[in-house]
Formats: sequence, C-alpha cells, structure tokens
Amino acid sequence: MNNILDINGISKFYGPIQALDNVSFSVPAGSVFGILGPNGSGKTTLLGIVMDILRATSGTFTLLGQPPSADSRKHIGTLLETPNFYHYLSGENNLRIAAEIKGSGKDNINEVLQKVNLYDRRMSKFMTYSLGMKQRLAIASALLGNPDVLVFDEPTNGLDPVGIAEIRELIKRLAEEGKTIIMASHLLDEVEKVCTHVAILKKGKLLLSGNVDEVLVNEDIVEVSASSLDRLEEVMRSLNGHINMKRNPHSLQVNYPLGTANLERINQHCFSQGVVLNLLQLKKKSLETKFFELTNN
Amino acid sequence: MIKLLKIEWLKVKNYRTFWILSALFLISIYGINYITYEVQSTSRPKANPMADAIIGTPPFQFPDVWHTVSYMSSFLLFIPGLLMIISMTNEYSFKTHRQNVIDGLSRTQFIMVKMVNVAIIAFISTLAVFLTALGFGLAEGASYFSFEKIEYIGYFFIQALSYTGVALLFSVLFKRSGIAIGVFFLYVVVLENLLAGLLNRYVYGIGHYLPLESTDNLIPFPFFRNVVKQFVTPPPTLYLLIAAVIYLAAYFFVCRRKFETDDL
Repeated sequence: MNNILDINGISKFYGPIQALDNVSFSVPAGSVFGILGPNGSGKTTLLGIVMDILRATSGTFTLLGQPPSADSRKHIGTLLETPNFYHYLSGENNLRIAAEIKGSGKDNINEVLQKVNLYDRRMSKFMTYSLGMKQRLAIASALLGNPDVLVFDEPTNGLDPVGIAEIRELIKRLAEEGKTIIMASHLLDEVEKVCTHVAILKKGKLLLSGNVDEVLVNEDIVEVSASSLDRLEEVMRSLNGHINMKRNPHSLQVNYPLGTANLERINQHCFSQGVVLNLLQLKKKSLETKFFELTNN
Repeated sequence: MIKLLKIEWLKVKNYRTFWILSALFLISIYGINYITYEVQSTSRPKANPMADAIIGTPPFQFPDVWHTVSYMSSFLLFIPGLLMIISMTNEYSFKTHRQNVIDGLSRTQFIMVKMVNVAIIAFISTLAVFLTALGFGLAEGASYFSFEKIEYIGYFFIQALSYTGVALLFSVLFKRSGIAIGVFFLYVVVLENLLAGLLNRYVYGIGHYLPLESTDNLIPFPFFRNVVKQFVTPPPTLYLLIAAVIYLAAYFFVCRRKFETDDL
C-alpha cells in the first residue's frame, strides 16, 4: 500500500532555536501511527508543518502521495494542539463553518456530534463549554465528512477518565474501519494501547520509527535474584549468550537478544553452581522503559 | 469566491458585536448629518442672496448634498475600520485562521476573502452614505434632484476602502486586537495629522499624500466654499487618486505576502 505521509529531511528553526532537525519518516496507509516525545520535542511543530500552518526551514513532504495542497487537507480530519473555534458561535454553527470549508456538506454534523456525546449541547455557545467538551467538539470537527486520514495531536487532553476511554475506543474503532490515524502524544500508554507504528522524537531529532513490535521489543530481559547478588552476578557472568547485565538494588537484570533467553538453562546453571534463585522472570521491555532509555541520554 | 463569502457570512451571522457596531454606525451617519443640518440651518440667514454669495448655497441642497454628507460621514470611517480589525483579529485570538487552513482553505484564499471583506464593508458604508445624502437632499426645500457632484460618493468609497484597508493591514501586522485598535486610532486621529502638518511645513504639500490624508483630501471642507477657496488650494484630485490606488495596492500586497509566508 502507498504511504499517506512521507517526510523527507524536515528541519525547522524558531529564530536560533532548532525545533526539528532533519526528520524523515513515512506513515503507511491503514496504520495507527504514534508520534511520541516529551513536551517540547517538536511533535506539534511537525504536524503544523504538514498542515501548512508553519513553514519548514528546509525539507519536503508529500501528503496522500502528492505535493501538499489545500485540497488534500480537506480529506484529512485534524485536531492540532488546542480546539480552535469561534467563541461566540454554538458548537453546531462552528461545525457548519468547518463543513463548509471541507465541502463535506452539513448532513453528518449531527452524526459526529452524537459520536462525541455533544449533541445535547450543540446549541450552546463554544465559550460555555468545559475543556473536555471543547476537546470533544474538536474531535467531532475532525470526523466531519468521514475522512480516511485523521491527525490527532494530544487527543485526550483535558478529558476525564471516562472521556479518555471513550476516545481510545473511538480511535480503535476508526482504525478497524481501515482509517489511517496519526497521533501525537506524550502519554505512553495511550500510544502503547492503540498504535501499530511509532516514531519517537527528542529535542527535534527523530530517535527511531517503525512498527511498534519491532521498535519496542528488541531484547529479552530476564530478572533474577538470589540471597547473594555478588555471587549470583559471578555465576551469571559465566553463562554466555547475554548482551549486558545490570545490577538493581534487589535483583539482577540480564538482557539477551530477542527470543534467546532460556529460563530453564539459567535456573539449572545457577543451581548447579550452588546459587538458589528466589526470582526468575522474563520481561518484555515496556514502552515506558524504552522511552526513558531513549529520551534520557 | 461565493463559497468563501458564504463561510465569512457564517462567521458574522450570529456575531452580535458586529451587528451592534454596524447599527450604531448607520445611526451615527444619519445623526452626524442631522446635527450639521440643524446647526447650519439655524445659523444661516434666511433667503439672503448676499449670504449665499459669501458662504455658498445651502449645503444640504442638491447637488451640494452629495459633497456635504460624504464629508461629514467620513469622520465616522473609523467604525468600518474597527469592524475590519475585529473580524481579522478574532481569527488570530481564536486561532481559527489556523483551523481554517487546516480544514482546507489555502492561505491565499483566507487572506483574499478578507480583502474582499474590505471592499464589501466599504461598499455598504458608501451605500448608507448615498441613501442618507439622497434623503437629506430630497427633504431639503427648494432642492431639485441632481446627480451633479455625485463623484463625491465615489471619493467616499475610495476613502472607506483606504480606512478599512489600513485596518486590515494593522490587524495582520499586530495580530492582537488591543494593539491593532490602539495603533489604528492613534494613527487616524493623531499621528497622521501630526506628520502631515510637519511635512507640509517643511516640504510643500507633501503631507497631503500620506496614506489616509490623500483620501481625506479627496473630499475638501464643504462649507463657506467661496471663502475657503481663496486661502486653500487643494491638491489635484488626479494625484490624490493615484496615491490612493498605490497605497491600497501596497496594503493588499503586504497583507497577502505576510499571511502567505509567515508561521500562522
């Protein structure tokens, strides 16, 4: 399948500050693509460039396989950073403006309002909405015209736990319908729960990108412990095959290449060397550890 | 373009501030001319050919009414400017200029339709002035309808374009409503007059060609014409019109250029 978005070497300076440094990656059609990074890592700047509200200092991109244009943006539902609406207009009238711009007709305004549970408040002015309602109106606006590509920047900002769960369900449902979703977030479990692909940004640099399974789990981690950690470390070092070893306060963490950790062999080896294990556990590397590992150094 | 105008219409249709200000503007056009009418008709000696020879025919009779009403109404042109500033800076403060572009307008479309708004606001203001002048002319006794001097209505349109154009320019340059409104009023009321006065003192007549002065001068002081014209020679209308067109083109060029190339 074609790529929805191809980014080639985009850099962006705000005066002397470099917000993006030669970022390149591709978003395949049908993926749920998470752009992950701490605050200020350039996620919104990148999406802003793709949406033509910011100018890249250098680099190019294609959208839906074509050079970027206003018409291609009409087929993409986007929520960028904050909900931007006319404060003095009702939710419904705000969506009419968005629908008119997209040329999507006003037929499905009620439908998208129902999807985000705002139908009852559609006549209220935007300025009377709570933060969560504003966010939901922005999501409704992105859904107008049933676009095949959706871009969400921090979609669960300001929502309560129920709202967060609802939006997560909505995103999963949209993904099942075959839509491509590009989602920027600093909330790791949000990305972990719904994304198929991920790109990690730090201070404007792309650290890595690709399929979630490939990117996030590339090592087996075995956690072992015994009454004497010194002796255990000595014994474990005599068993080959590991990549590295790390001493935690109450355990030892041993990393093996993906799929090569053999717990039985470890147990047997330790026991035969006179060390009795009181902990032996295979852990997959969680997104969070990976994320901290990547962004901390 | 019709589609873009429809979007603009949806933005103002339910915007109460806009309609209240517009209504006040229309009432004020009538009001300022009515006050002038009252003042001149009570202070003018009745049916005195001598007086007419000195101070001119009654200013609210055809054809002079086109001139008089255009002149008096031009003092209210800061209101259309204000409307323009509000409608543009609202977009910046609600960040809807970004959202409109995200949703699929091109930057060029967005700024072009604002420029068309300038023309529409100027046109409607001019229409109001035309109707007011017509009304006063018809109501004035011993006045026979005439389109002579109707060019002053056209000059008013150019002047209205110029004021709302400057308002759009300031909005695009400053983005925040407070500063845009403040600078606009300061410029209209004080700065330009000060500058024009200084320039006229040192370089003969050049101050008449400042951005708003050039269109202000299209409609000279309409009262006591026979007296005034012995002291003041107004700059040639053709030069003023050329200056006005150049300024308008410059405003639109700068607005468009800035909106198309900046980070929004």
